[in-house]
Amino acid sequence: MVTPVKEDTELVTINIDGKDYQVPKGGNLVDMAKWVAGNDIPVFCYHPKMDPVGMCRMCLIELGGVARDRATGDIQYNDDGTPQIRWFPKLQTACTQTVNDGMYIKTNTEQVKEGRESVIEFLLTSHPLDCPICDKGGECPLQNLTMAHGNGVSRMYFDDKMHLNKHYPLGDLIYLDRERCIQCARCIRFQDEIVGDDVLAFHERGRRLQIITNSDPGFDTYFSGNTTDICPVGALTTGDFRFGARPWELTEVPSISPWDAAGENISLSTRLDRDFGGKAMIKRVMPRQNEYVNEIWISDKTRFGHHFTRSDNRLSKIQIRKGSNFSESTWDSTFKAVAKTLKEANGSVAAIAGGSATNEDLYELAQLVTGLGGDKLGAWSPTHTGADLVAQVGLPEGSNLGELGAGDAILVIASDLEEEVPMWRLRLKTAQDRGAYLVVANGRNTRLEELATEDPNIKGRVVDGAAIRYEAGSAAAVMANLKKSNKDIAKKLADANHLVIVAGAEGLTLEGHRALVQSAANFLIDSGHAGKVNSGLLVPLPGANGMGLHYMGFSPETTQDIAANPPKVLIVLNAEILDDDPTAKTWLSQVDTVITLGYFMDAIARESKFVLPVQTFAERDGSFTNGERRVQRFYTAQGPMGDAIPAWKAVGNIAQAADLGRAKLSAAAVMVAIAKNVAAFEGITYKVLARTERQFPDVGGDDKYYGGNAYQNTGGIGKQIALSGTAKSEKVTVPDALKAGKGEIVLLPTTRLYDRSHMFIPTVMVRSRVSLPFVHLNPKDAKALKLADGDYAEVNYDGGSVRVRAVVSDDVSVGAAVFPRKLTEKATPLVPTVGTITKVTEPAQIEG
Amino acid sequence: MADSKHIVLRHLDIGKPIIKLKDYEKRAGGYDGFKKAVKMEKSAVIDEVKASGLRGRGGAGFPAGVKWSFIPQNEPIKYVTVNADESETGTFKDRLIMEQNPHQLIEGALTCAYAIGAKAVYIYLRGEFWDVAHMLDERIEEARKAGYIGENILGSGFSCEVYTHLGAGAYICGEESALLNSLEGKLGQPRVRPPFPAQKGGGLYGEATVVNNVETLANVPWIMVNGADEYKKIGTEQSAGTKLYCVSGNIQKPGVYELPFDTTFRELLETVCGGPPEGRSFKALLPSGGSGPIVPLTDEVLDTRMSYEDCAAIDTIIGSASLIVMDDSVNIAWVASKVIKFFAHESCGKCTPCREGTYWLDKVLDRIMAGQATAKDIERIDDVAKNMAGITLCALGDFAANPIIHTIKHFKEDFLAMAEGKELAQAGD
Amino acid sequence: MAVIGNKKYSKQIEHHFSKYPDKRSAVMPLLYIAQEEYGWVNDDGIQEVAELCELDPTHVKSIAGFYTMYSEKSKGKYWLQVCTDLSCALRGADEFHKDLKAYLEVEEGGTTDDDLFTVEHVMCLAACDNAPMLQCNFHYMENLDMEKMKAWVEEKRAELQKELDA
Repeated sequence: MVTPVKEDTELVTINIDGKDYQVPKGGNLVDMAKWVAGNDIPVFCYHPKMDPVGMCRMCLIELGGVARDRATGDIQYNDDGTPQIRWFPKLQTACTQTVNDGMYIKTNTEQVKEGRESVIEFLLTSHPLDCPICDKGGECPLQNLTMAHGNGVSRMYFDDKMHLNKHYPLGDLIYLDRERCIQCARCIRFQDEIVGDDVLAFHERGRRLQIITNSDPGFDTYFSGNTTDICPVGALTTGDFRFGARPWELTEVPSISPWDAAGENISLSTRLDRDFGGKAMIKRVMPRQNEYVNEIWISDKTRFGHHFTRSDNRLSKIQIRKGSNFSESTWDSTFKAVAKTLKEANGSVAAIAGGSATNEDLYELAQLVTGLGGDKLGAWSPTHTGADLVAQVGLPEGSNLGELGAGDAILVIASDLEEEVPMWRLRLKTAQDRGAYLVVANGRNTRLEELATEDPNIKGRVVDGAAIRYEAGSAAAVMANLKKSNKDIAKKLADANHLVIVAGAEGLTLEGHRALVQSAANFLIDSGHAGKVNSGLLVPLPGANGMGLHYMGFSPETTQDIAANPPKVLIVLNAEILDDDPTAKTWLSQVDTVITLGYFMDAIARESKFVLPVQTFAERDGSFTNGERRVQRFYTAQGPMGDAIPAWKAVGNIAQAADLGRAKLSAAAVMVAIAKNVAAFEGITYKVLARTERQFPDVGGDDKYYGGNAYQNTGGIGKQIALSGTAKSEKVTVPDALKAGKGEIVLLPTTRLYDRSHMFIPTVMVRSRVSLPFVHLNPKDAKALKLADGDYAEVNYDGGSVRVRAVVSDDVSVGAAVFPRKLTEKATPLVPTVGTITKVTEPAQIEG
Repeated sequence: MADSKHIVLRHLDIGKPIIKLKDYEKRAGGYDGFKKAVKMEKSAVIDEVKASGLRGRGGAGFPAGVKWSFIPQNEPIKYVTVNADESETGTFKDRLIMEQNPHQLIEGALTCAYAIGAKAVYIYLRGEFWDVAHMLDERIEEARKAGYIGENILGSGFSCEVYTHLGAGAYICGEESALLNSLEGKLGQPRVRPPFPAQKGGGLYGEATVVNNVETLANVPWIMVNGADEYKKIGTEQSAGTKLYCVSGNIQKPGVYELPFDTTFRELLETVCGGPPEGRSFKALLPSGGSGPIVPLTDEVLDTRMSYEDCAAIDTIIGSASLIVMDDSVNIAWVASKVIKFFAHESCGKCTPCREGTYWLDKVLDRIMAGQATAKDIERIDDVAKNMAGITLCALGDFAANPIIHTIKHFKEDFLAMAEGKELAQAGD
Repeated sequence: MAVIGNKKYSKQIEHHFSKYPDKRSAVMPLLYIAQEEYGWVNDDGIQEVAELCELDPTHVKSIAGFYTMYSEKSKGKYWLQVCTDLSCALRGADEFHKDLKAYLEVEEGGTTDDDLFTVEHVMCLAACDNAPMLQCNFHYMENLDMEKMKAWVEEKRAELQKELDA
């Protein structure tokens, strides 16, 4: 359980309103009063995730301490034997107090009531009181605390109120209403303390004090939406939700982010909506507290990326190819037709599934393929591997990245974590703030590099401190030889109390990534960290269910095998093979029949015989296994799209039509089967996954001041799968890095959080923030190619070519060009490859 | 008072400003105190200042030596910050010291730096003291060349640098923690305390720091030369030494006067300053600029000694000793309005009651001054000011409440006259 | 770019950076330099100071906005800030301020048509015994009356005329 009280916590006694409580020494008084006494000291500026600032003055209390003799230090007693209490003459702010032994506070005296009433009155003097049209109305701390502590009458002349801009865009996504702002600085502090990107600040002073950004671009970090959650008034709203609905109309449905390995817990706020044919519709996405996973934060991609679920481009009907055309069909006849095709393949059946398929979908798909006599289950995309090692030397059950701090160490290698798994980047940054030693190793500058621990003893690199900038493509070699080539860093990592290694696949082939992950595992095993709570291996596997793919038997190596030996019939589930990989069409042409289950009529669907529409995470029940092996369930939130059904159901019915047993009736029933047949899932049921617990800090309850009610976790905190197997340190053969011939260059694909994939592009409001396609070169390489920064270039590679902008800087190492995936609708290299880059002058057109 | 009339304004004894180092050394025994100090144990210097009873001259009156003794000696990095932000309405004494006798401040600051083992002294001047700062830079350079600043000063093994830093127009930077923020390049808003500046984590760049007012430090050389016992002989029991009294407003001879703490208001205002303007009589006094409680200038007040303890006895403070005098032509509601405008302008905005309260009070006072208010509005602002007092992050909230609470307490009829539009909103003419 | 980082100011900037253990502390002195260069704190100045101090420009803007001696609007050649605080007002500063604005035909905070003078009132400048007084581009002018002021204004106008003629 996430609590402030650990086994080794020293407890002290404090007295609240005449009653003694044992609380952890050093805790914050507001948090402790709430945790142990259920005493809701009202706050506006204070937030348990950030340092106290004592600005709003709402948390006024009477504060005292046991009187001690100045000379002897002895406690002084009253005649009746009770200790004398010395009270401060003035009210004190609770948020700036650290609990200590003998602390006395009063929270319910006349003086306290008057103080709080005064603060409310002062706050309301300048407030527009436009609750009836305010998005926060109904879940607003200012509204709530005014009801609880205000005097109900305004003594300020309305004409004397200051008028300010009510629609000030801080960026593309967040709007500021300066009249509603109460200058609590939570948004400023969030950006500074939690994100480490301090692009917000106060401007002017006194009553004119207001929030600004003067950065270019404006307020556009990947976490900006969180400021609207913690804003205690309706000053900050998202472009997505503002004027969209009233909070009291919304039904909160617990869910899980479909985007990445973090598995952020979210709450989908839904309403029966005219804009969606009267069906339940997602109006906004809010974080749901899970201190093990995402605490109370979510990335902007998770918050704003839900639009694909209702996209006009969603596949809503079954499409069956007749010659070069498709025609619609019904499920029953389709189940039969697909079953027939599959049976006729005589066991030459394989499946490739992507990371947005759920555990249930994957299990049923695996059952179908093996039932038909096939044995090839491929994981998409075949860029990352090592899930098997995460299952063995990942973070053990009970681990929490939020507990990493002083004495601990983190190595992030070959990953641009902010772009791949933003929540991990957020949590590792705060771990660094708490004192963890953060090492960042990559072949190029990433956003994380500047967060690497400053270490004056480590010199001679491109950047100061615990940052390693290696040659392009050499991550595996760097990890394998860390103890030799980076002795100081390796020693600090090995000697740390806890060690987490994040091993990405940037710049690596699948074989190269295998070598990197095995080397990382070796390091953890050799240093004795493997199997230790809060230590272990993380891999930013693509999609929300990379670990689920592993547990259900799907692997990227098998995908390579399938490509090398194409089957007669291939089932593709949530894998945009042709959009992702320009070389896939070569081997796919050898497959007789492709059966696709997906969300969109993408390139592979257009090449398929059967195209079956399946439901997204929003429309159905299911579960994902996150990168820390936490199985987490989500619930049906949104109304269905056309004829789409859950993939597990489609696959189960195909199996039934193929006489392979009865289709299951619910996702929960599939989980029962998984628990029975997949060892790692033993004991896991939907009921277990729905279990919740009280979490510290207590921000999800029904208090009146932490804002909204969507933080509360009513859907379950999930269950972390125990480590299995006994991994041993194994000899690693590092494959040779790709070599480019004359006139060629190695292209290194990277991941961008905001891209032009089918799932993300329907989020129109973020579209302007998706980068135009580019290729990033070191000046040396650019010179050889006669390219300057800003030039247009044509990149040619196996299976295609695309025109992009050239970016030239020494932020990338010599010898390769960084070439982000999915910034154009054309397929660009999925894995490192050799290609050519030529300058183009006419026409100066790039493909966005 | 030893052999001269002045402790701080020594140039008045000589008859001309003491600008150059050589004049300061020759004519005023300059740096003798510092030379003596660096031969003493650091703790002995602190003890001497403690024993002198020297209290902070910025307004709060905290004993300087005690403040110095709070600095943990074993911290490797410590700082001295000189508060030369002089921004209180009616205060103009520190500027005079820096303009007319600058080396005495530098000497005092260096003595403090030696006593606590500081590696640098930052003199934080309000931005408006642009010319003063540039002049001070030259004096610092002189002292550096003479070996009083730099490495291994006077062969004592003690090394210290002295720098000036200009603010840019913010009263709140006179509050010590706001001053430190400003010096660090942050918004000049007060910090949450503890930790206090003297503690690790609370001072400049997180290091233990002494923040002292210009006048406070300018007293130190005299104490080092003449000793704590001599110093204590001047003034009153709880207010040792002299004070620089700034007199402004309706008075014949405004200016800065250095007098012992046991001088009465009458001696200063009537004898030294020549009383009220021709044909006028005294009405009221703000003894500590805009921030201290106003008092009617009665005989009782006039016969009060201008010490910390005597002023407390008449329900006001001596504070920074910025005496603003009002004669009988002045409506005190207008005074309240002027002062609240100052605080509304200078509120940093960090904490709610001050940010909102000063704005609100200013708005209502505008109504009163325009004759568009009633007796109820007067009660209201009295109540609002009382609500604001005592719950703010720093003392500015109390300072801003004082002019309202005390002007209404003593001069309610002035407010009533204004509120009902009986009097013109222009005063002082 | 790097207008204020150029030779003209490089010595000053170097000096300020040498004073503090943290570059951020130099933001205030550098803002003064930017203001000197551009006449006011404009976006270019903010950007340059941000780069020199290794700060996000938001924080430089924040500092510029908090302190009243940085002007975020363009000003006349002579920025006249008249103290109208209590002590000065008791000695006729309000009247002086009003008369000055009337003489120059400007509103509060306004600039004369010839871009020569900007007039505004400020809070206590710590020169209470020499009221009425003002600061002109951070230099004090004390013991003023309208007669002195008019003479000074005409002198500056004549200087401008001379420049224009030449």
